[in-house]
Amino acid sequence: MKKTIHITVNQKPIELEVQPNQTLLEVIRETLGLTGTKAGCLVGDCGACTVLLDKRPVNSCLVLAVQADGKQVTTIEGLETPQGLHPLQTAFVDKGAIQCGYCTPGMILSAKSLLGRNPRADEAEIRKAISGNLCRCTGYQKIVEAILFASRTSP
Amino acid sequence: MMAELGGGVRPIAGGSDLVVNMRRGTVAPEHVLSLGRIKELCVINLSGRELTIGACCTVASLAESSVIASQWHALHEGALSLGSPLVRNLATAGGNLVTARPAADLPPPLMAHGASVALQSSQGLRVVSLDRFFLGPGRTVMKPAEILTGIVLETPPAFSGSSYIKLGTRRALEISIVSVASYLTLEKPGGRIRSARIVLGAVAPVPIRAVNAEKTLIGEIPSGPLFAKAGGTAAGESKPIDDHRGTAGYRKDMVSVLTRKTLQAALERANSNKGE
Repeated sequence: MKKTIHITVNQKPIELEVQPNQTLLEVIRETLGLTGTKAGCLVGDCGACTVLLDKRPVNSCLVLAVQADGKQVTTIEGLETPQGLHPLQTAFVDKGAIQCGYCTPGMILSAKSLLGRNPRADEAEIRKAISGNLCRCTGYQKIVEAILFASRTSP
Repeated sequence: MMAELGGGVRPIAGGSDLVVNMRRGTVAPEHVLSLGRIKELCVINLSGRELTIGACCTVASLAESSVIASQWHALHEGALSLGSPLVRNLATAGGNLVTARPAADLPPPLMAHGASVALQSSQGLRVVSLDRFFLGPGRTVMKPAEILTGIVLETPPAFSGSSYIKLGTRRALEISIVSVASYLTLEKPGGRIRSARIVLGAVAPVPIRAVNAEKTLIGEIPSGPLFAKAGGTAAGESKPIDDHRGTAGYRKDMVSVLTRKTLQAALERANSNKGE
């Protein structure tokens, strides 16, 4: 028994048929093919599956696709513009904040949400904002430096 | 709808607990009924001296509420210590109660604030004190067709303060080893203790009031030795178990320490809180 949902993904309105027990993560990766969003622990602990749901970062593995009906979803693919990478993406590259890369999309989306609310966030606020995103390479210092750099240099 | 769908239906609010359990296969509901679009359940409303928190308010909205931060300090601290920022954007106030986990972060502060919950079914509405809501791990007094619609709190009187401390080994994504919420009302700043509530989390099958520790405080002048005595009494009232997070003996010791610390923090807030 499929359900029809209407979601806006990276500013594009989409109509989808989904199973009631399908998660938003599964729909993003498997139906829409947006594999920038990673599947990690699948229980809401690691943050690899972070997306923005109505501008707030959430674990997409914990959201049923039907719950996202009528909402706006932003994935890592939605950050790049024709002008180039998002300033946070550039900062992660320039500051060496990417190691294996698995946590990176989630880290950047949590950081984007923070800087959207608080463009001049300090280090403590940054560490708090990414506390739901685990980096198994333990590259936190460079990640924090990249977000700090983006917050200091954003217009 | 709950009555029509019968026993195979599970309400879903944030889904941060239910979706995990469905994936693990520990629950397999025939129907999942979303409460998330009922606007009335997503509102924090202060009317007169009564604060109502809709069941579907996210934990993030509690943590960000200036109303809650101004008078309900323990609840503010409890909301901020739950899960991670990502989980707090999904998890709801009602969900953290109906799942009835012994180490959940909202029950101790809400009980310290004297909260009640509204339980609604097609048969009608009843209001139950949170002190009598939990029966055991995962078990509450709720009937199958009932939905928890909201949490009701009274504005604390002048010269009241509260505090919640969660003990864990890391700052986010942690399940409490021990948690304590304390609440105090003074007769006047620097005066005797008029009322007190101390609630212990993760040291019994349900969050518990340390009623004997509370009794040692009533009518007394607050002091370090008095709070230390209350901490020792609270430790005696706790019934912790040994598990991978900590031994029972360690937990009892920490009940004593956290009770003393939360009472001290509650006292400082009570002394500076002149009411509205």
